[in-house]
Amino acid sequence: MAVQEKYTELINAAKGSGISNLQVREQNNVLYIDGEAPNGKVKDNLWAIYNKLDPNFRSADVVLDVKVAAMASGTKAKVTTESSNLNIRKGPGTDQPTVGKAAHNEIVTIVNQTNEQWSLIKTDKGVEGYAYNEYLVKS
Amino acid sequence: MKRLTFKSFLFVCVFAAGMTSCKNKTTVKTSDVDSSKVTNTAPVEVSSDEALTRNVLDATKDYPGVQATVTNGEITLAGNIDKDRLPKLMAAIQGLNPKKVNNLLEVK
Repeated sequence: MAVQEKYTELINAAKGSGISNLQVREQNNVLYIDGEAPNGKVKDNLWAIYNKLDPNFRSADVVLDVKVAAMASGTKAKVTTESSNLNIRKGPGTDQPTVGKAAHNEIVTIVNQTNEQWSLIKTDKGVEGYAYNEYLVKS
Repeated sequence: MKRLTFKSFLFVCVFAAGMTSCKNKTTVKTSDVDSSKVTNTAPVEVSSDEALTRNVLDATKDYPGVQATVTNGEITLAGNIDKDRLPKLMAAIQGLNPKKVNNLLEVK
C-alpha cells in the first residue's frame, strides 16, 4: 500500500491519459503498471513523472510497462536513431545477421509488428527485415 | 407437561442458535467472494530468466557502458550511462516483464 501512496501522482496520470487495458497492481512491494498508450508523448510523460518521484529509478519498486499502441500493417514509420543507421536484420534478435540498413530519419513501411521489441519493415529500396521498435515512430 | 414445554423451549433455542451461526457463516463466505471481485487482480506475469536474458541483450546492445544480469526474474543494471539516455533504457528494460529492476548504474 505504501508503494501506491508514493506513486499516487504516477497512478493518477496513467488513469487520466487514455491508456487502454490499464492495470495497476502491487505484488511483494513492487508496483506494476501495464497498459497501452495512445502515443509516445503519453508514455514519455509517465516516465518523466516516474523519474521525478524516484530520481534515476533507484528504488526498484516499480515496473512501468506502458507500450505505445502497435503500428498497423502498412503504416509509414520514421527511423529515430540518435544519428546512426538502423540495422535491418534477417530475424527478430540482435544475434541475427543484418540484411541492410535504414538511414537516420528515413521513412520505412511497417509490414507487421512481430512482438513488443521487433517489427518486420520494408524500405523504399526494397530491403525487408526486422528492426528494433524503439527506433521506429509513426510518421 | 411442564417438562415437555421446557424441552421444546430448549429445542427452539438450540435451533435458533444453530440458524444464527449458519447465517453468520454464509455472510462470511459472501463477503469473501465480494472482496475478491473488487480487487480482481491476476498475478503479475514475470518472464523466464531465459527470455529475460535473451531480450536484455537486444535492449542493451546500443548502450556500450551498460551490463545487465538476470537472476530469479530480477534484472540488475551496472556500468554507466548518460542521464538523458537513462529513461529510454529503463523503459526498454521494464518492458521485458521482469519481477523488478535494480539500477546500479552510475549516472553521468
